[in-house]
Amino acid sequence: MAVVIETDRLARRYGTARGIDDVSISVDQGEVYGFLGPNGAGKTTTIRTLLDLLHPSGGSARIFGLDSHRSSRQIRARLGNLPGDFACDPRLTGHEFLAFCAEARGIRGPGSGSLLAQRFEADLDRRIGELSRGNRQKIGLIQALFHDPELLMLDEPTTGLDPLMQEEFLAVVGEYRERGGTVFLSSHDLDEVERVCDRVAIIREGRLAAVEKVADLRGRAYHHVSIEFDGPPDGAEFARIAGVSELEVDGPRVSFKASGALDPVVKAAARHTVLDMELTEPTLEEIFLTFYGREGKS
Amino acid sequence: MSVAVPSASAVSARERRRAPEWPVTLRAVVRRGLLDRRRSVLIWGLSIGIYGAFMAAIYPSIQTSIEKIAKSYPSGLKEAFGVQAMSTVEGYIHAEMFSLIVPLAIGYFAIRAIAGATVSAEEHGHLDTILALPISRAVLIVGSYLVAATATLSILALTGVMTFLGGRIAGTHISLGLVAAGVMGVWPLALFFAGVAALTSGALHNSRTVTGIALGALVAMYALDLAGRLAHGLGPIRWISAFRYYGAPMRDGIDPASFIGLAGAGVLLLIAGTVLFKRRDVLH
Repeated sequence: MAVVIETDRLARRYGTARGIDDVSISVDQGEVYGFLGPNGAGKTTTIRTLLDLLHPSGGSARIFGLDSHRSSRQIRARLGNLPGDFACDPRLTGHEFLAFCAEARGIRGPGSGSLLAQRFEADLDRRIGELSRGNRQKIGLIQALFHDPELLMLDEPTTGLDPLMQEEFLAVVGEYRERGGTVFLSSHDLDEVERVCDRVAIIREGRLAAVEKVADLRGRAYHHVSIEFDGPPDGAEFARIAGVSELEVDGPRVSFKASGALDPVVKAAARHTVLDMELTEPTLEEIFLTFYGREGKS
Repeated sequence: MSVAVPSASAVSARERRRAPEWPVTLRAVVRRGLLDRRRSVLIWGLSIGIYGAFMAAIYPSIQTSIEKIAKSYPSGLKEAFGVQAMSTVEGYIHAEMFSLIVPLAIGYFAIRAIAGATVSAEEHGHLDTILALPISRAVLIVGSYLVAATATLSILALTGVMTFLGGRIAGTHISLGLVAAGVMGVWPLALFFAGVAALTSGALHNSRTVTGIALGALVAMYALDLAGRLAHGLGPIRWISAFRYYGAPMRDGIDPASFIGLAGAGVLLLIAGTVLFKRRDVLH
């Protein structure tokens, strides 16, 4: 499978301040790649460096196999970008802005702009400066998508969108992927990433902390286990099991986190009379926070 | 919300994959820039034009008084402000408008046009959107320079037409050739200071700083040229002022060497600014 984005120890420093450091990622064609991290972690700096708005202070980046600096214009012709805080001349109407984008891309006509405007219920006749943040964001999404690019770079794309429009956006991304498009999606919304991404890179303090398939990330994670017995259990019996942590005994109920295989837990429970057993998968957010917590302490 | 975006998009694969040639993107930038500035061009052109028409129209009624007042001026001041030539309507309009007000106004307009399309757009986050399109930075800054050049030329043309009509309606023998030379003579000044703004935009990120430096250069060069004309000791350093080459085209006609030299200096400043703009980061 062709690699669409490839960075090798990409670094960008702001004087003595941290930007990003040693970021090496590889995004395959047709993949929805999540780029996850809290505000200030380096997500936007990475995207702006890939787009050649910032020049790297180390390492390199290639998109479509082309150098992100030397071939920036050729690359930008093939991608659609939604900046984190989408802004354009507020005096223009949506139609005027999209017409400018089409002309600058050498495209005759509005592409799929009208259909997208219909789907996102965007008002293209009003001046962009008169629109609410969410409605401005719709214009931003349309300008990123209307020319049917090979790669979408989206920085916090659902900011300001109401829940219905967020659903519509996720549907559009899904359809785009089905047509073979590649998405690089920066977000701090774990639910969003969980729903649309194939893989997720976690960035913290400018460095890549992990790159995992969303499914693997879940698989690597723990379970919340809660078992109710017919009498007070011996907590020590469960505490001895490898991978069990945060154990609490409350009357006949024992609760803990169990990572790895659950077989020893089930076997230990089976030695008693079990009245009820709950097994809960953690949300990606919990996994993410656990991951961050562990890395943060090291 | 049930409308699907077709998989076979209206945009052909060929169109999608190739970056447009630079003239296509330059045309888009210039066209958009001129559309954005059409209202301000009209407002500035009509405002300065009405002022010019008024000055030309009142000349016959104040000509005698001006000649009397002019006689009382020291010779240095008369030379510095072109008062000695107020015996003609063109000389009067030059002294009242084209020796200071129009060059400053047009220079300021040109500076703002460049700063608005570059550093101000950067501050407001617009460049993140524009430079994600296949528009090179060179095209962006050269396009904004062409917009500034066209817009200032349009303002000057409006000013010239209205000034000429005002003079003719009032019965003066105002010369179309000298009025045309007068307004065209300001244009290379606009190109020069647009170049100064392009250079500073290439190096800096703050629109107030860019505008301040370029406008400061405009005022300082005017003051230096004026001081050089008033104090002969400062005369030898007038060459560093753009106003030294501006002269008084409304009164004396255009000096082609100065016209080309000033415009050429503006273009050189633009080239230097473009090189810097391509090398620097776009901050937000």
